[in-house]
Amino acid sequence: MVRPAGSYLELFGVSSGTLERLVAEGLSRGGDYSDLYFENTSYLTLLLRDGQVSSGGRHVDFGVGIRVLKGDKTGYAYSETTALPDMLSAARAASAIADGAAASVALHASKSPAPVPDRYPILSEDAEGLADFMERIEKGIFAKEQRTVKVMVSLSFERSDMLMFNSLHEMVCDTALMAAVAVTAVFAQGDRVENNTFSRSRRMGTEMFSDALVEEMVEGTVKGIDERFDARRPKGGKMSVVMGAGASGILLHEAMGHAFEADFARKGQSIFTGRTGERICPAGITIVDDGTIPTERGSLNYDDEGIPGQRTVMVEDGILRSFLHDRVSARHFGVAPTGNGRRESFRYMPLPRMRSTYMESGDADPGSLIAEVRKGVYVDNFSNGQVKIGEGDFTFYVKSGFLIEDGRLTAPVKDINIIGNGPAALADIRGVGNDLLIDGSAWTCGKEQSVPVSCGIPTVLIGSLTVGGE
Amino acid sequence: MTDKLAPGIITPEEILLTEQALSFALSHGADSARLTLNKSLLDLVAMRDGELDRVSHSLDRSLQLSLFADGRFGTFSINRLESKALEEFILDALGTLKLLAPDPLRSLPSPERTAKDAVTGLELDLYDPAYAEMDPSKRKALAEKSTVWARKASLEDGFTVISEEEEYSDSVFDTLLIDSVGTRCRHTETSFEIACDLTVQDPSGARYNAVWWDARPFLRDLDIDGVAEKAVRKAAEAIGPLPCGGGRMSVVVDTECASKLVTPLLNALGGFALQQKNSFMDSTLGLKVLGDNVTILDRPRSAGETGSRLFDSEGVATEEVPVIDGGVVKRYFLTTWTAAKLSMEPTCDDCIRPCIAPTGGCRDLEEILADVGEGILITGFNGGNSNTSTGEYSFGIEGFLFKNGRRVHPVREMVMTGDFRTLWNNLTHACSDARECQAKQIPTLAFKNVEISG
Repeated sequence: MVRPAGSYLELFGVSSGTLERLVAEGLSRGGDYSDLYFENTSYLTLLLRDGQVSSGGRHVDFGVGIRVLKGDKTGYAYSETTALPDMLSAARAASAIADGAAASVALHASKSPAPVPDRYPILSEDAEGLADFMERIEKGIFAKEQRTVKVMVSLSFERSDMLMFNSLHEMVCDTALMAAVAVTAVFAQGDRVENNTFSRSRRMGTEMFSDALVEEMVEGTVKGIDERFDARRPKGGKMSVVMGAGASGILLHEAMGHAFEADFARKGQSIFTGRTGERICPAGITIVDDGTIPTERGSLNYDDEGIPGQRTVMVEDGILRSFLHDRVSARHFGVAPTGNGRRESFRYMPLPRMRSTYMESGDADPGSLIAEVRKGVYVDNFSNGQVKIGEGDFTFYVKSGFLIEDGRLTAPVKDINIIGNGPAALADIRGVGNDLLIDGSAWTCGKEQSVPVSCGIPTVLIGSLTVGGE
Repeated sequence: MTDKLAPGIITPEEILLTEQALSFALSHGADSARLTLNKSLLDLVAMRDGELDRVSHSLDRSLQLSLFADGRFGTFSINRLESKALEEFILDALGTLKLLAPDPLRSLPSPERTAKDAVTGLELDLYDPAYAEMDPSKRKALAEKSTVWARKASLEDGFTVISEEEEYSDSVFDTLLIDSVGTRCRHTETSFEIACDLTVQDPSGARYNAVWWDARPFLRDLDIDGVAEKAVRKAAEAIGPLPCGGGRMSVVVDTECASKLVTPLLNALGGFALQQKNSFMDSTLGLKVLGDNVTILDRPRSAGETGSRLFDSEGVATEEVPVIDGGVVKRYFLTTWTAAKLSMEPTCDDCIRPCIAPTGGCRDLEEILADVGEGILITGFNGGNSNTSTGEYSFGIEGFLFKNGRRVHPVREMVMTGDFRTLWNNLTHACSDARECQAKQIPTLAFKNVEISG
């Protein structure tokens, strides 16, 4: 939600003149661009254990980050107060990236922020009833699944007010919300113990914590627990892998998405460096990073450099069309920023980061993709993944899935890794389902800093990946 | 901001503010409270391809408040350390407590358990006076000294260095913990770090990335010169991986990455997992569940050693104790609350500085390879995870196939699977080569009969 700039200036205790003085100080040693990022974030956390919401807290993080650019080089410092001497000191520290006299930078007339649709209106910030919401989830899980031993429910609600100003004289203000709830449940069957986790998160107010979400959390937590007790590790080796729609999008994020972030391309580290306009995967595959989906966890009104949130097509029909840019990489490559300059907080300088990353639907029936496989695995529940950007090697931990034998889902499998190479896997996609699903889990990307993201994918068949098993 | 700071960067004014906040909380409804003020100052200089790329300067302050009122408990934090903002925050925090259910088991640790010897913060000898002499030009000179970009051609042999990044940083951390029953603890330490992230390319265009780093409490001990060359060597050694099949085999795990196999074991001994019945080490205290040769000590009070601490997050005095002794579980890590929930005696909140006792009679990696003879040398983990309830794990691995004690060829895109209790019953070697820069003193390890696929 964007409110009038005056209320943000008041919140941070600064004037327009102060903003101008700070960017001028940042440029005082020859920097060619400077920007300010004021942030006031407050969040509430609640934790239910052993049937009661008996711990929780509130947290406040307040400050301003000051960045100075000199070509591709970056100076950064921040202050946890907005007292002028502290902010000027930070600006001077950031200015040290340049080592000369002040550059001649023309300051233009103040610009209004580019109008954007509000992707996360504030409907409610009321904390009343949240403990009851959590208790109903816990009771629902115990009622639904008799093998439940323990249930832990964590809930958080966050509000961030941000003011951005730069040496181009652009001022952008925004207020962003984030609500999240997660469950970890432990189940016992005889002497065997299994656990499951389930989460949901959106850029919404506390109205997200609804009756419908109680039901979704209960169903999502107990789903597949029968299979988990029956599941075994398959015999490992190279085999076909069918990625289920939705949460398998984390593979797209990790194995391919990071290689599209332009800081890696600028440094020559991305496997896709210099390949814009080339075919990198079969025709029919389109990969998008989208900041415009209303209330999605990865959506943005503006990125953390004041660039409007937008939809960026990275791969179109198999051809690499665009990297994901912040202002630094955009300037380096001579293109427009794509609204991917994001940061964890005012303590961090922005980097090119994904928002909601997904592959668009293809035309295959999902069942037909499974039917094509003689021997392989179907996977749809991942806990985490990792990629080596330089090589493109990735590994994903699969919480649950099924063996595929002669075109049918057979025995459940669990706790296995699939491992492969991103570009090779992308080129080895044999079919894309018509069932794109963006997963609603509380995904957080940890590239140097933590930022909320979303991911999604339709059902996808990959010809061969290494599956770790017995 | 203050750029020239004496040992202990928390100022007398900030100490007074913390004490006043404690009094304010107690006089406005808190029955008891613990306040922890953390302050840190970090300067970083990053090089890319031999040229200055980034500088940053970070001064952080955060006050964490653990408040107990009317049988309720909450944790709160704020970085606005001004009296008025702090008082408003405390009143709001006390209001938030009313959202919570009472929990009669929440309390501060008893005073006799808290650290009495963390008075100045300097007792563990982790503060380097050389820190006060650092300035931007010295930092830049150290970062420039670490890079090999200008002379990379002399290092290239069948490959090209295509990307080199170094980060030099120095920092000071200062913590003050006080509570309403008189606990007062201080910890101050400096840290100097250098890291190199480097990518090489072979003639076929395949890329290989490697990271090498060093971190020390004292600048004089930091290996500035060697970091990039070690990264080059590590990346070059990985060129030309070949498949090697799979099956059950011995693995040797380099000290650089061996903590990946220790951390889940220690986490499973933590009260958080145990209390939630989400631990594969549940109900094992006092039982022999791991191999005879498995001994893990917690050594948090070793002066001058990275990772040492005299007190935990509750102010409880740390102890030098066995965690696992000859395969027998000797210690769970239990806070005041988790101990009360489990009707057990409280200990510390974590294994602060784990050290694995040597076994198998080898001093270093090469001796272990010779003694084991054949298997996979793991030099890095690429993703993977473990099931906290069952202890089953699956990790991506990379490294080398070795035979007759010698590396044959690199391997990658392989997976190691099993469960931790079985793994730690199959430990054959632990030598004594843990790097001083690691808070977790985990040496090169070897295990037999491990499932590998790839």
